[in-house]
Amino acid sequence: MTSLLLALFVLLPARARAAEIYCPASVCERGVLPKGLRWRANDADPTWADPRAQKGGTLHVYDLSFPLTLRFVGPDSNDDFRPYVLGNHVPLTYFHPNTRRPIPGLAEKWAFGADHKTVYFKLNPKAAWSDGHPVTSSDFAYGLEFMRSKFIVDPWYNDYYTKEVSKVVIYDERTFAIVSAKKRTDRDLLYDAEIDPQPRWFYTLGPTWAQDYQWKTAPNTGPYQITTIDMGRRIVLTRKKDWWGRDLRYFKNRYNVDRIEVSVIRDQQIAWQYFMRGKLDGFPLELPSFWHDKAKGPEFDKGYIKKLWFYEDRPLPEYGMWLNMDYPLFKDKNVRLGFQYAMNIDKVLKTVLHGDVERLNSNTEGYGPATNKTIKARPFDLALAGKYLDKAGWSKFGPDGIRVKDGRRLTAVVTYGNPAHTERLVVLKQEAKKAGIDLQLQLLDDAAAFKTMLEKKHEIAYSGWAPQEEPQYWGQYAGVNAHKTQTNNFCNIDDPVLNKLIHRFRGAYTDATKDALARDIQKRIWESACYIPTWKQAYFRIAYWRWLKWPTPPGTRMSDDPISYPLAEGEAWDGLYWIDEKAKAETEAAMRSGRTFPKSTVIDKVYKE
Amino acid sequence: MELPRLDPLTLKKFQRFRSIRRGWWSAIGLAVLIGLSLFAEVFVNSRALVVRYRGHWYFPTYGAFIPGRTFGLGYDYETNYRKLQEKLEAEHDGDFVILPLDPWNPYENDLRDGVYPPTPPSWKDRHYLGTDTSGRDVLARVVYGFRIAILFSLILLLCNYVVGVSVGCAMGYWGGAFDLILQRLIEVWSNVPFLYVIIIVASVMVPNFMTLILIMVFFGWMSMTWYMRTVTYKQKTREYVLAARALGATDAAIIFRHILPNTISVIVTFIPFSISGGIVALTSLDYLGFGLPPPTPSWGELLAQGTSHLDSVWIASSVIVAMIVLLTMVTFVGEAIREAFDPRRHAVYE
Repeated sequence: MTSLLLALFVLLPARARAAEIYCPASVCERGVLPKGLRWRANDADPTWADPRAQKGGTLHVYDLSFPLTLRFVGPDSNDDFRPYVLGNHVPLTYFHPNTRRPIPGLAEKWAFGADHKTVYFKLNPKAAWSDGHPVTSSDFAYGLEFMRSKFIVDPWYNDYYTKEVSKVVIYDERTFAIVSAKKRTDRDLLYDAEIDPQPRWFYTLGPTWAQDYQWKTAPNTGPYQITTIDMGRRIVLTRKKDWWGRDLRYFKNRYNVDRIEVSVIRDQQIAWQYFMRGKLDGFPLELPSFWHDKAKGPEFDKGYIKKLWFYEDRPLPEYGMWLNMDYPLFKDKNVRLGFQYAMNIDKVLKTVLHGDVERLNSNTEGYGPATNKTIKARPFDLALAGKYLDKAGWSKFGPDGIRVKDGRRLTAVVTYGNPAHTERLVVLKQEAKKAGIDLQLQLLDDAAAFKTMLEKKHEIAYSGWAPQEEPQYWGQYAGVNAHKTQTNNFCNIDDPVLNKLIHRFRGAYTDATKDALARDIQKRIWESACYIPTWKQAYFRIAYWRWLKWPTPPGTRMSDDPISYPLAEGEAWDGLYWIDEKAKAETEAAMRSGRTFPKSTVIDKVYKE
Repeated sequence: MELPRLDPLTLKKFQRFRSIRRGWWSAIGLAVLIGLSLFAEVFVNSRALVVRYRGHWYFPTYGAFIPGRTFGLGYDYETNYRKLQEKLEAEHDGDFVILPLDPWNPYENDLRDGVYPPTPPSWKDRHYLGTDTSGRDVLARVVYGFRIAILFSLILLLCNYVVGVSVGCAMGYWGGAFDLILQRLIEVWSNVPFLYVIIIVASVMVPNFMTLILIMVFFGWMSMTWYMRTVTYKQKTREYVLAARALGATDAAIIFRHILPNTISVIVTFIPFSISGGIVALTSLDYLGFGLPPPTPSWGELLAQGTSHLDSVWIASSVIVAMIVLLTMVTFVGEAIREAFDPRRHAVYE
């Protein structure tokens, strides 16, 4: 009897706490769940992890610098290490890395409201924080309050969660809705109006928040937690043995290694030496010089180290050159066309980039049906370049071989911010000279280059945009963003037809309409000739010791370099690798005895179009 | 016009300089190198020296570009004379092309399919020092980089000395409060971290040759003032200055006609070291990426490429050898001048 009473005593406060729902009026309201919602769970899509995967072992990777903080928001948080932190924040839903359909994360089920603004979620009852607290609706209300708080010193997130997300509506401990501030398609609602739960019992928001939590490891919901912080040298993440998600359909056989050890090696060449001695398990070979020249030698010939070149099919960055149409020279479409045909991108690809990289054709590649495959980038063609430039009145040549018109030379400044790209640009410059164009290279500090472009002080902007889940046009090509500073419309294009298309694109809520409009928009941008697409690198390349194992195929459509990103933020392709301890012992013995294995260089094109 | 007669003391100094053989030969070597570099287009250039084509003579080195169509090649851009040479040789029509010793200009990329730069030195491809990471001829980049570096350094020296010497003389001549205030100002000014200023400027604009000189003069004129101030103080009390003043000469006349010529030995002694300083400064700025904009040929940029491609040893070694040779020569000249102008050999103490 006494023991029962005691048990009741212990249980009571816990229950009382679980029942209490945190719902501050500024971000949250209580409600009654509407009837007739169509709940989706999508628990039948194929899995992509490998049942052969074994748990155990340590994955050794490196980073060029030690993180400046372990916070995921606030000053200095947006650095290379953040994927290790955010990769352990399980989102409400993921997108399937092959079918791209939503699949469960923290949420077991979800449903869309008819207003194109509300998404309802039912949390997985198993979902729990690393410190044992269950994940509840309150954590999302707090999550929104947290992201809007001035104390996190992160204006971008403050702004985003104020302008994009309107509120949380809580129905019970495990059921709630997130209301978007604007109408979106179902996909966009899941992607853009998402809230990360935050542990209210852990954080105390206040003016010193950023300092207080600089090096604190916050509770998380993911498979790993940081267990060792060796200041300036390394950080170790350890797998949670009883993680709530480990046996769920889409998590099974993933996140296999027991420890991920991230060492700081401040120089890539030195890191390479560590890798060749087996102190790192894998190494990214993105640079042509690494794949072609460095990754050679006995360790490769004897099969101890393997090479993998894996083509993905994910949205690609929009790399290119944007001709500023407010600059008098580029007001004339013939001049823009002349420049299009005078850029010898192909030569850069074949020579400087070792033929590894391909020409980007449009500004929307890798988006499945939204990509307009009929659009091909204009090739280097001196005859056509000459024809259009002649038409524009630039038909005479000066003594230096550069075209002249009314005493003015045909010259334009290319603004860029990455010194590593100089070797590509000098080739473009030399080749453009053949068409009588003088390209002047303006290499600025990265931030200053971007500022120049935002202020529209550029003539040609040489840059790139990171891919989004859905193609984006409004910021970069809508007329309302032309002729003004601090917008992304680097062409300063203000075309009524394009504006109308973009407007309709933004207001469309079905995927089919959106895709069709996206294709029309790409066509129109191609016709305007103000954007010169440059290159696309739709693959990752790595070298790894043979004890590191991968599923077949070794990645998914959406995969990114798994050595640079052993964990990825909000994506479901990560954590597929495992370490075969037996193979490791075998390899180490073989290296001593001289035994060899078959040499292995795999170029995987399963997902290449 | 009458040639200025060298006074015996100057003549003596000159003879003394000549007798220091390594300094003397270095000076001659440097002069020859600078002289040759001014006509680098004749030795290192993608344009031919002479073309004889269908009975016409062409001298493309200087002057307007000649489109390929002139020589029966199917394009309107500048003729590729290396290709033209091969073509004319194959035709055996008596037409010919004479190319410079190194037939590449410092900007063109020699990129061929299947060959990835940097490529090692090759006699056959006429890249005597190989190519850099963009396939440009290293020798051409070294030669034109030298010309830019030495001209930069000479102009920088001139500007620095004009400002530094004038201010220094004025401080020494007028002395008093003027001297005191300017001294403090210079001390403060000297403490502005020059490199940071350059980094800030280079991040918001692309410095060109002249702006870079301007910035460097802005922060480089101070060092000369201290020496000039001291020597001027010393000279000011000499009888000849008092005599000139008694005759009613103006301050400017006294400073420039009387004092300055007597301080020339100080200035001359510093020149070689300032030259090497200027070259090193430009090279280090280029190395860090804050110097002249790409694709200007520059030693610093080559050095940066060389250090990140250590296995392509020809890049780093070419520019390092060139720098060692040049700086050693300048230092030898400097030593010899200092020796020749050493006042302990010439001064007559009363």
